[in-house]
Amino acid sequence: MKLWLGLALVAGPLAAQSARARLEGRVPGAAIPVIDSLIQAASTEGLPTEPLIQKALEGGAKLVTAPRIVAAVEVSLGQLRDARDLLIRAGDEPPVTPGEVTTVTWALRRGLPRPVVERVLAALPRAPRAAAMHAVADLAAHHFDPDSAADLIIAAIGLGLQRERLLDVSAAAAHELQRGRSHAQALALVRGELPNVPASPKPTAGAVARARRPPAPTPP
Amino acid sequence: MDVTRAPSDAEVVARVLSGDGEAFALVVRRYEAGLLRFAARMLGGRDAAADAVAESFVRAYRHLASCRDPARLRTWLYRIVANRCKSHLARRPIADVSLDEAPPVADPSDTAASLERAEQLALVRRALVRLSPEKREAFLLKHVEGLSYEEMAAVTGERIPTLKMRVHRAREALLQVLEEHE
Amino acid sequence: MNAIDPRIHQALDGELAPATLSGELRQAVERLVTAAALLATPIPAASLESRVMVLIRRPAPSRARRLLGWFVAPHAVTFRVRPVWSLAFAAVVALLTLFPMRHEGPDIGEHEGIAQFVGRFPGAQSVHAVGSFNDWRPGSIALEDVDQDGVWRATVVLPAGAYEYMFVVDGERWVPDRLAERLVADEFGRENSIVIVRPARR
Repeated sequence: MKLWLGLALVAGPLAAQSARARLEGRVPGAAIPVIDSLIQAASTEGLPTEPLIQKALEGGAKLVTAPRIVAAVEVSLGQLRDARDLLIRAGDEPPVTPGEVTTVTWALRRGLPRPVVERVLAALPRAPRAAAMHAVADLAAHHFDPDSAADLIIAAIGLGLQRERLLDVSAAAAHELQRGRSHAQALALVRGELPNVPASPKPTAGAVARARRPPAPTPP
Repeated sequence: MDVTRAPSDAEVVARVLSGDGEAFALVVRRYEAGLLRFAARMLGGRDAAADAVAESFVRAYRHLASCRDPARLRTWLYRIVANRCKSHLARRPIADVSLDEAPPVADPSDTAASLERAEQLALVRRALVRLSPEKREAFLLKHVEGLSYEEMAAVTGERIPTLKMRVHRAREALLQVLEEHE
Repeated sequence: MNAIDPRIHQALDGELAPATLSGELRQAVERLVTAAALLATPIPAASLESRVMVLIRRPAPSRARRLLGWFVAPHAVTFRVRPVWSLAFAAVVALLTLFPMRHEGPDIGEHEGIAQFVGRFPGAQSVHAVGSFNDWRPGSIALEDVDQDGVWRATVVLPAGAYEYMFVVDGERWVPDRLAERLVADEFGRENSIVIVRPARR
């Protein structure tokens, strides 16, 4: 624990330095010192800093005013802290990994109720849980009841499906909706197919051939 | 000079080389439509084509003294654009658009005729994209830009029999695709 | 690809009158002529004149700067070899590649996947995807309207994971991706779309 804290104290200023360099010229100058301090705080607490940097860059790109960017970064930091607390309550040993904090933050931002998030965490005691969370959130976005959505994904996990295959489960349920089934029918149908839900198609050779890499960001 | 007729290419080149750089705007206006169309069909994108043609015009301006026959300015410009397109394609091959992809979403205000024309153009464009850059270039220069085989030889640096073969192969490939999707 | 009747080529090269051809051959000629006419449709674009003239009026870069630019820019290199050497080279390559050939396109890493962006923006001059995959930099991922039918597309290699993004139309209008089924509040009064990039190698 002391080693983690020591590293965090050293990493804090270093992280802020490289973050400041990424923000300069992209974010209103007036906002940078405050955002810088928020990023340092996150780093000291062992929370991921990238979501905060991205939120600031986003605000700069969208030409938002400095106060609103600061407010948005503060909200993002609050979300990261909430996610960390939820993970610890769900049984993850501190310090929780930045990756899992990001995963739970996504789940909460996408509107999943905390009890549902906790259920999924309990069903997957070990990381990674990103795909499972997004799969439940995808179902909720299609107006499936979040608890029922969690039931389906947890059932899939119990039958050995993991990682991105869980996204195939939610995709299968959404597909049934498009075919005219009710939510209850869709859930039942897909539940009955588990674990053999169709896998999503791989990218075609044509898609691979025309895929481009975005240029690497210019170093500050 | 007879002011009732537009200056010839040779006259415009002479004016630019004698110091009247602004006269080059006439060259741009005269040839941008054809060059842009050629580059867009070669590169498969309007933005990439506009960049290639703009850069080509600037290069042409800076090297205008090396245009050996100002009366053949058009051919010289096509040569510069064709080379630029080839460099661009060597770095980034054109998208391979699958013919099985869903057709474009229709706008209710489109007329039936214009929709059909748009779909036909889309089919032809997809067929064109499947050709190698050399065959695509040969077909476009011959049948869209209307160059003679002699002019095409000046643009590409290739021998006329080679160009004829490329045009023939391009026609065969396009016809096969067009007939498959009747 | 099938060879076609040489009279079709002769007609298209102006060496034979199309009227002298049989129905089927004349139809083939007309198909190609129609295709060429469609390709001759002008490309709608803002005039390049002002853009070119601005560049021309700038002083040309120094030779040293041009040389540096040449070294930095990628170039296609063409080798001209005798046919016998081409055959020998081809034979060596064939021997070395007894194993399955790799697919064309970029090498996709183990933790990378492909994101496909599609949007309908008729009349747009440019469309870009901007999001957490490119540090919210407008301009780095340009969609293209290859068929000029108002449907813009881009296919991009990205590290696997979840990203927020929007489309930027004509450099200034930020719109969500209406085809994406995942949305999240951006804390700035709008909604971002979410794309989940799955590892391509599964």
